[in-house]
Amino acid sequence: MRLFRIAAVGAAVLASAQANAQQVEPIQFTLDNGMEFMLYPRSEEPNIIAAGWLAKVGSVNERPGITGISHYLEHMLFKGTGTIGTNDLEADRASHDEQRELQERLLSQVIDVQYDRWRRGEISDPWDATYDTDEMREIRSELREVVDAHKTHVVTNEFDRVYTTKGASGMNAFTSHDLTMYFINVPSNKFELWAWMESDRLSNPSFREFVSENGVVIEERKQVLESTPTGRIDEQIDSVFWSSTPYSWPIVGWPTDISGYAYDNLTDYFDTYYDPSNLVGIVVGDFNPSEVKSVIEEYFGRLETTNPVIQPVVTIPIHPAIEKRIDAECDCQTRVRVMYPAPPFRHADGYVLEVLTGILNGRTGRLYKSMVEGDEIADRASASYQPRKYGGALEFTGFPKNEATTADLEAAWEREVELLKTEPVTERELQKIKNQTIADSFRRLQSNFFILVQLGYYEGLGGWEYMNESPEQIQAVTPSDIMRVANQYFDHSIRTVATYTRQEVDLSTMDPELAAMTPEQREQVQMMLAQMAQASIDQLKQVLPMIEQQASSVPAEDKAAFDYMLKKLRERVEAEGN
Amino acid sequence: MNRFYSITGAALIAATLGTVATADIPDRPEELIFKELNFTPPAAGDYRYELPSGVRVYMAPSNEFPLVNITFSFKGGSYLVADDKAGLNSMTGSLMRSGGTASMTPAELDEEIAYLAANISTSSGSTTSSASLNALSSNLDDALGIFMDVVRNPRFDDDRKRILVEQSLEGMKQRNDAPGSIMGRDFTRLMYGEDSFQARVSTEATITSITEQDMRDFHARVFHPGNLIIGVSGDFEPQEMLETLEAAIRGWEFGESVPNPPSSDNVPEPGVYYVNKDDVPQGMVRLGHRTVDRDHPDSIAISVMNDILGGGGFTARMMNRLRNDEGLTYGVYTSFVRPSWYPGHFLTHFSTSGETVALALRMAMEEIDKMRSGMVSEEELTTTQNSFIETFPRTFESKPAMLGVFINDEWTGRDPNYWATYRDRVRAVTRSDVQIVANEYLRPDNTAILIVGPWEDIYRGNVNEVDPNRRASMAEFFGGEATQIALRDPMTQKELPADGGG
Repeated sequence: MRLFRIAAVGAAVLASAQANAQQVEPIQFTLDNGMEFMLYPRSEEPNIIAAGWLAKVGSVNERPGITGISHYLEHMLFKGTGTIGTNDLEADRASHDEQRELQERLLSQVIDVQYDRWRRGEISDPWDATYDTDEMREIRSELREVVDAHKTHVVTNEFDRVYTTKGASGMNAFTSHDLTMYFINVPSNKFELWAWMESDRLSNPSFREFVSENGVVIEERKQVLESTPTGRIDEQIDSVFWSSTPYSWPIVGWPTDISGYAYDNLTDYFDTYYDPSNLVGIVVGDFNPSEVKSVIEEYFGRLETTNPVIQPVVTIPIHPAIEKRIDAECDCQTRVRVMYPAPPFRHADGYVLEVLTGILNGRTGRLYKSMVEGDEIADRASASYQPRKYGGALEFTGFPKNEATTADLEAAWEREVELLKTEPVTERELQKIKNQTIADSFRRLQSNFFILVQLGYYEGLGGWEYMNESPEQIQAVTPSDIMRVANQYFDHSIRTVATYTRQEVDLSTMDPELAAMTPEQREQVQMMLAQMAQASIDQLKQVLPMIEQQASSVPAEDKAAFDYMLKKLRERVEAEGN
Repeated sequence: MNRFYSITGAALIAATLGTVATADIPDRPEELIFKELNFTPPAAGDYRYELPSGVRVYMAPSNEFPLVNITFSFKGGSYLVADDKAGLNSMTGSLMRSGGTASMTPAELDEEIAYLAANISTSSGSTTSSASLNALSSNLDDALGIFMDVVRNPRFDDDRKRILVEQSLEGMKQRNDAPGSIMGRDFTRLMYGEDSFQARVSTEATITSITEQDMRDFHARVFHPGNLIIGVSGDFEPQEMLETLEAAIRGWEFGESVPNPPSSDNVPEPGVYYVNKDDVPQGMVRLGHRTVDRDHPDSIAISVMNDILGGGGFTARMMNRLRNDEGLTYGVYTSFVRPSWYPGHFLTHFSTSGETVALALRMAMEEIDKMRSGMVSEEELTTTQNSFIETFPRTFESKPAMLGVFINDEWTGRDPNYWATYRDRVRAVTRSDVQIVANEYLRPDNTAILIVGPWEDIYRGNVNEVDPNRRASMAEFFGGEATQIALRDPMTQKELPADGGG
């Protein structure tokens, strides 16, 4: 009886999927300068518009020597324009030019003098100010004075303030390996404000404070990589896994490179990758498309294209038959990660891999049933397929429980892989994932903001059309497809295995409040703090009261960790806020 | 060539050539002129139906996606639970979903729901309880069948119950770790009284005493169609949906609607109260007194007044004074907590380092006095009115949110015209109205002040402050009198010996 009903449901779901295959149909147009736009009118959230734009550039477009510059540029675009962010443009620009000249002199000293000394073994770090020559010391102190004096001409965070006083919210941006995206929510009647602000920063960016922002990014790198228990390990694993490609460096960049961006690097990069022909604007929400289109034409039409030559990404990953293993220790929960090279975004096998990982994951998935509930050897276990524009990764992660070791989990994982390779998955398992895919394909379109982020993210990876293709392609996956890709991609000879083993840390030297937490909480707190490190001080000041007010809804067992995080954030505001 | 100059140069040339593109664009964003937001609030009556059986239903169809949201809202929550069973309502709400049904084990239920790609959740809070379903319209019949099974025939599986109890007790152990959770419990006790349902807290004894029969009894009392309002949004035909719902509740016994939550006439004795916790550097302060209920005629003027005083975040007076001017705290807010069924309370809340508690408190009290003694500026009033009016549409930002408002209004008997006239009533508030309600509803003389933190430092105050006008200690409040409130054992809520701090 139940089986019969389920088969009927499956057929019904399938039918509805086919009827609704085309779910997203943005209005698309291209301005004369090459900037593309997608408009997605939607009346379900009255009076609200989510708007944003993406630059088709990420760390994959960088080269050794300027790694991290995509991310750095993202920071710089919040520093205002010739109009926004200063109370005295003339003085501001004069100081700006002075800073630029001093920094150029300093950098050439580092490269010409300090690198030589470092190669000869006279100093241990060419960037360390302790080893400055007399000339450098002079430049550095002059630069510091100029930077300090400049502050009187800077209106801090004016860009943000203009938006928030007009009822806009959620202004933010992110940089990934393949794209950079900027977004915000504005009331429907304020669309022109968005067009004004964004076209202003694209045509008229000031790169104000490009010297002092360096310190901010270096701190951010430290927070993410050095102050989180797994940061430096994650970075190395990524680097090893992607070794033959431009994905091998971190988005934030290598430390020397962050210290060494020249002003021209920044403007060249901007001129090339932020040319309108490399940008896509996206507007989702409650608006009249023709009105919005004419505002767009007026404001973004003023951006001029220089038809820059954008170097294509040529290097694709190679996979020699060498298993790579990394064993690391950290103050973190013990875990094992097994990674396999996988196809890039929108590859036909990608859809099969999405289904395959779906069958493994979740409360009713194979990994939970066999490792967490069954053998009770895992606290958590999951599989994922992470496509990028020019490659992909397939990964298993497991956290051992009780007496189990990472080796036990690795063995348990191998049994799951073997099963996938040799036995077809059941129709029911497959149908469950198909059903969920359909439902999720609708659920993920229920908010303007998420529609915006998805359109931008997928467009940056290689085509927003994925959103329509994916549900359809997933419905077509068969058990034999899954067996085929399991055999093709779960290849021992080319995998990367990493184990993280909890190191017994000396708790007595640690902040006692941190020491009192469970290692899991410690890890989470440090991850959160690292994330918050990316926020500006003013953003932090705004969110702090909100975080404080959430205190009462934090589960009791996480209370201490929450309070510690709050305390650290307050300390940072206190230290930097004045 | 510097990029900035080259761009302004280009703009200059473009401007002199008189291109249309730049001619209409103002120099600064402040010069942009915006149309007014055109918004008419939805009327509840347009969405309200009744099933033949009498159950009230609010429906808002939308064919954007083939998904249906159904929410069953039941009146009743923790106020119906006996003192020695505190926690019964939330355990019942949680286990209805996780503990299986009469016909399905918990694992089978998980599997069925996952297979249908549906989301089902159940819960029970302080005054209302709910069950909700999000499902594909293509398999709604099956999903609704399972949903009704969950709502009507929960199994309350023993194993899942054991896991839930273990988790609750684990959480309970940390209750005294953070000042905020101590403050939350003790301030509520102070305002509403030890015996009120608002102040009741579960303990190890009450949680472990809860039996399957207790849950069945609570379930039977609250989760029945005599106590139900349904909200439906998404992809469906209204007429068919009414028939589907009527069929779904067929044979389900109508019990009696539960009574309204009890009011509390407790009035806290004005004065200073403290919980000594000396393992934290900061003092957390909350001061307040009882006030009116939600739909009091002065309610909107009170909201406007509160927004200017301390409710409006970064534009509010309290924030400007204590944070921006004085740097005493990172956040301070005031709030008129006005529940639907009974009179609520006013509060001011902030944290500051132990020795500056008295100074910050003095300044907070001064701001409250200023609100009473003088009129707010025209600019303050307009800023608040505009912000209320501008953010008003967000109340109805999605169909499920809109139905939530209607259902809550119906449960609590709110005037159906409340939203239609809301903005007019906000606009009508005058500067003198604000002062009148400040005098009427801010009662500094009746205030109870609760402080959680290192009491010795807090009492002494900032003795080393060089500016004598900024020197403050707790001696200046209520003649230096203060009542200690003992910390309570996290598992029993029995008072601990009073000397132990932290």
